[in-house]
Amino acid sequence: MTNIHDQITTHLLQTKSFPVSPTWLHSFLSTISAAQRNTPIPALTQTALFRLLTSDIRESLTSSASTILPVDIPDANVRERRLTGTIPVQVLDIEDIGTSSWSQVEAIERVERGEAVRGREIVRTVNVGDEDQDELATTANANASNGPHRLILQDAKGTRVMGIEMKKITGLAIGKMAIGAKLLLRGVVVGRGMVLLTPDTVTVLGGKIEAMDQAWRAGRKERLLQKVTAEAGTDAGRA
Amino acid sequence: MAGTKILCVAEKPAIAKAVALHLSGGQMQTHNITGNPYVKNYVFDFNFEGRWGDCSVTMTSVLGHLTNVDFPRQYAGWASCPPAELFEAPINIRVDQDKTAIAENIKRQARYSRALFIWTDCDREGEHIGTEIRNQAKEGNRQIVVKRAVFNNTERAHIIHAAKTLEELDERQANAVAARIELDLRIGAAFTRLLTLQLQPLHETLEGKTLSYGSCQFPTLGFVVDRYLRVKRFKPETFWGIKVMHTRENIKVNFLWSRVHLFDRATVIMMLERCMMAKKAKVTKVNQKPTSKWRPLPLTTVDLQMMGSRFLRMNGAAIMKTAEALYTKGFISYPRTETDQFDKAIDLKKLVEKQLPDHNWGQYAQGLLDGNFRTPRQGRNNDRAHPPIHPVCWVSLDTLNADEKKVYEFVVRRFLACCSDDAKGQSTDVEIQYGDEEFHARGLIVLERNYLDVYVYDKWESTQQLPNYRVGEEFEPTVADIFDGKTTAPNHLTEPELIGLMDANGIGTDATMAEHIEKIKTRSYIVVTSRGTGRSAVKVLIPTRLGIALILGYDDVFAGLPNSPSLSKPFLRKQMELEMREVCAGTRIRRQLVQESLDTYRELFIHTQRRMNLMKSAFQKYLVEEADV
Repeated sequence: MTNIHDQITTHLLQTKSFPVSPTWLHSFLSTISAAQRNTPIPALTQTALFRLLTSDIRESLTSSASTILPVDIPDANVRERRLTGTIPVQVLDIEDIGTSSWSQVEAIERVERGEAVRGREIVRTVNVGDEDQDELATTANANASNGPHRLILQDAKGTRVMGIEMKKITGLAIGKMAIGAKLLLRGVVVGRGMVLLTPDTVTVLGGKIEAMDQAWRAGRKERLLQKVTAEAGTDAGRA
Repeated sequence: MAGTKILCVAEKPAIAKAVALHLSGGQMQTHNITGNPYVKNYVFDFNFEGRWGDCSVTMTSVLGHLTNVDFPRQYAGWASCPPAELFEAPINIRVDQDKTAIAENIKRQARYSRALFIWTDCDREGEHIGTEIRNQAKEGNRQIVVKRAVFNNTERAHIIHAAKTLEELDERQANAVAARIELDLRIGAAFTRLLTLQLQPLHETLEGKTLSYGSCQFPTLGFVVDRYLRVKRFKPETFWGIKVMHTRENIKVNFLWSRVHLFDRATVIMMLERCMMAKKAKVTKVNQKPTSKWRPLPLTTVDLQMMGSRFLRMNGAAIMKTAEALYTKGFISYPRTETDQFDKAIDLKKLVEKQLPDHNWGQYAQGLLDGNFRTPRQGRNNDRAHPPIHPVCWVSLDTLNADEKKVYEFVVRRFLACCSDDAKGQSTDVEIQYGDEEFHARGLIVLERNYLDVYVYDKWESTQQLPNYRVGEEFEPTVADIFDGKTTAPNHLTEPELIGLMDANGIGTDATMAEHIEKIKTRSYIVVTSRGTGRSAVKVLIPTRLGIALILGYDDVFAGLPNSPSLSKPFLRKQMELEMREVCAGTRIRRQLVQESLDTYRELFIHTQRRMNLMKSAFQKYLVEEADV
């Protein structure tokens, strides 16, 4: 038992840089029934990884100094600093700052009405035929946001920081990345309190936290609308 | 005196006359017919060669469709039956009241004739009108042989060739039209009666008004309302960007940010700061290459209407009417075509040559013949019926009326442009890396204008010239700063845009689009207003409160249903149009198309009836209370 425990811990640390919490791992292993105990360790590790990706890292990972963000990281007075080590974080929010909120609202409403615009042509996204499933998937991908994206990231200790996608990162887009997805930051630069995300400093591990993701989706249109009205409000105030 | 008697029937009197003049060489007698002042019979001799040889010909015409599809008398009153019954009620095909004299004329002439040659326009409607003419002729003479002349302009040699190479009527195309006519009648009548009976009492402005529904009209109106709502509901937002300017060789070069702009100020400030930290920008790419602006594709009907309404300040319906007149007079080819590629068999140089006498573009045409001629680009569409719209012969602009002048000039210039070389230029692209950010500048020198000289509607002009940059060199930008701006609402829909949307979404055919737009204007669903003033004024389409209430009402009625059916969106009609093409291609039977379409619409009809209260509250809200949208 201890052996399994150590093997999984080492494996997750070495391959995914996840410093898995002993308590979490213990409770994970205790959910594994006796019959499954004979599962080979690599398979068991895969299951553990899968559970980790859908967990809240504040519970599932340990927080040692080298794997968490400095507490003062959002300080905008600091012009630039570089973080050493590999830091696992989870995504709490993702916004497309390359596209106006209003056009994002319009896009959401088009999807709500069961259509999407490809060029000028109005194209259906809902379809009855089964063979169209693939097409559906590609349309959904075509609807993924362009970015650049602004993210809110959180480490195992609960420290939050803003992340800016400075160069296009595959897999990082609204519609592709769920809330609760896990990223690894390796030697990232922080400018004015914002983590500068680039393909060579960020590894997207994926995953999601179901409850958070659902709430985020449900509230997205409302948040965008609020942003738009807030801006209109300040304008009216100025005028 | 020639032996065999032949009856020829065209779609319109003007075509009958033009064809008769060509075939007879001017040697013909003109007879009036009883009961119709427009249609004439032209009698002459002509040698059709081959099977027919020397013939005595009577050339006459109809005035568009001969027959009318309607419900029997017991369904005539709007209160006579529940509107839903109209989906199944029997229908009668009858000769139109005011066309009986024309039908009689055909019957009588057919009695003495061996054969009937049909000269209707070569499109779907023309094919169907051909079958209507045939049916009348057969009533007069069971034995009559029926043939069809295939032509797409009224130039003399073309017409004579068509007369000597007769073909058969295309039953499939005629069937597709018959299906459409039946569907339009049933669906239109059922929904129109339902809407009118239920909604008319809601507001005094609706008294005596018909609230018509048409499966093309509604999606057309839908586009106008959709855009109007987008404009009305639009919320402006601030964006920020980085501008970089560099002065070299006394030229101020503005570099544009590759991200254009972002909607987060803090991020842009951070990015700008990181540019400044880098101090120097590095040139990553200098690309000088020949570039060209392509000459236009051969002209289709949709393009004629779109470009026409943009450049000629005429609406689609007026353009089509004018183009028809020019076609009938033999100046341009048939103006209803989807084809944007010229057949190799057409002698284009000969057509160019015909334009030599013109004092506006004659010289340009001469230049083409002297070596500047290029084979036109090929588009991707070919309706296999008509060539792209092109001038058939030259006519002096002085002999044309104002509208004809504009349209003829456009058709000719477009044609000459198609036969010209692309405009040539040299472009220079410079890309720089400044901190983490990328910027670029572009310069263009137009070297040869070519087609632009005749196609005055296109603009392509040289920009400021860029100084020399070398790849790898570094420089310190003169200015690097943040700028801001605001997003702006889209513009209201213009008619060319609407035609483009209808085309892209399969609403109507190139031939009928302008009619659908006219229809929703006459129904007071939309109005045309001017945006801007003077020469820059643009005509835009705005829905009326009635138009908005109809579309939003229907959207409410169908909200939340599985598969999001909609009468205001183009999907259903597009489907029907595709199926009609299948009927034309022979892969679908007419009955099947009618039944399936009726089933779909019947379901929507029942649903509309059931949720009529939602429709009524939309009317109450937008029309009576004039609520904001």
